Amino acid sequence: MISKRFVIKRLLLLVPVLFGVATFVFAILHMAPGDPARVIAGQRASEQFVQQVRAELGLNDPIWVQYGRFLLEAAQFDFGNSYQIQKGTPVKQVLRYKLPVTLEMALFGQFLGILFGIPIGLLGAVKQDAVSDHVTRIGALTGISVPIYWSGPLLILLFAQVLNWFPASGRIASEFSITPITGIITFDTLVRGNFAAFQSAAMHLFLPSVVIGIYSMALISRMMRSSMLEVIRQDYMRTARAKGQGSKITVMKHGFQNALIPVVTVIGIQFGTLLGGAVLTETVFGIPGIGTLLVSAIQVGDYPVVQGTVLTFAFLFTMVNLLVDVTYSYLDPRIDQ
Amino acid sequence: MTADHRHHDSPDGASPESGDAPTLRERLRRLGRALALGAALAGLAVPALVLTGESVAFASEKIFAVGALVFGFSILGWSGSVFAGEGIENFQRHLGGRSDWSEADSRQAMALLGSVGLGGMVGAMVATWVVGSLA
Repeated sequence: MISKRFVIKRLLLLVPVLFGVATFVFAILHMAPGDPARVIAGQRASEQFVQQVRAELGLNDPIWVQYGRFLLEAAQFDFGNSYQIQKGTPVKQVLRYKLPVTLEMALFGQFLGILFGIPIGLLGAVKQDAVSDHVTRIGALTGISVPIYWSGPLLILLFAQVLNWFPASGRIASEFSITPITGIITFDTLVRGNFAAFQSAAMHLFLPSVVIGIYSMALISRMMRSSMLEVIRQDYMRTARAKGQGSKITVMKHGFQNALIPVVTVIGIQFGTLLGGAVLTETVFGIPGIGTLLVSAIQVGDYPVVQGTVLTFAFLFTMVNLLVDVTYSYLDPRIDQ
Repeated sequence: MTADHRHHDSPDGASPESGDAPTLRERLRRLGRALALGAALAGLAVPALVLTGESVAFASEKIFAVGALVFGFSILGWSGSVFAGEGIENFQRHLGGRSDWSEADSRQAMALLGSVGLGGMVGAMVATWVVGSLA
């Protein structure tokens, strides 16, 4: 049973985290060189027009007034309108279309990481020092060590160029036109019953998900292995075996849930890394998510979009960690005491 | 249960804190000193930048932003200590490590740093007003 007090305490802690991130982002953007008014007005605009834009945006106000206004608006998740990326469109709306794209990729990547990472880790622990353990260890270390900007192009080269099994970029083949419901294209195509479009979307999603899933899988499998090895050596496991319980049942019934606690932490932290990795993966695979949005916004100096995107990342990361904490207390009720 | 009680209740009986926990008055005094330090630094930095030929608005913006950066960083550090500090302490104990790091110390350090940042922000505001009225 998860205590309400524990969840409320954790939820309250989100406030300083988001406040800190908002202050941090505001400070960095105001320390960076470049004038947003000049960016909006264009490099050839007259000084008078630039001043007019500055006044309209409130950039002539003292910085503490701008800071207070920013915090108030950020608390309502209102970051104003985009300066450059989608001129005049509210940042909230820009993010609403981009966020599902990144979430879909990160969730599929995480799903692949969990799907393969946990069994591989279990296998490594149960068959410690066997050939399979060595193979999975080498695989995991490779997965942890290989950066996305290297594995991405390599997978594109092999699976898209040489074997021609998967498409190299995009989200769906151009012949399909799907009106978004959630923005998660695999889900939308399924809901609309268009299986050909679903297949196309899944094929497009596969390589990027594998790229970000490999790292996750490697870390989860290593954590699962070491955690399981520790649990296997506990007295209660020995007792269960001594009472005649089969080895598989002992591992799965008594060991698995206890070994899962540190793995859940890694999965939670990993999700944040996956979101960060989305910036690189989306750039490599030409996927229009919030990763590419952030890169473009930084390049053109679209401050409201940068602020909105970074705070969205922070919010997602903290929410996932809250979920991890709640899962913890479900797996081990002593934790929320 | 406070962080201090947790330390005394630790299973190995060892308190990671070196001395007695400071009283509330002592903590407030330290925070006040850090706030004053930040305000003084910003109060000096704004006119210094203006003397180098920058505009008051530019100096104000940059110094306030530096203060906000330190303040934002410390808030994140403070929240991180509260979020994960106890876990890190347990992890250290589990590994048998004897580092002097503790959640309470980390929170206090971040609070001090935050006070310097906040002082910097306030100092930048006051210095801007003073320099602006003199200019």
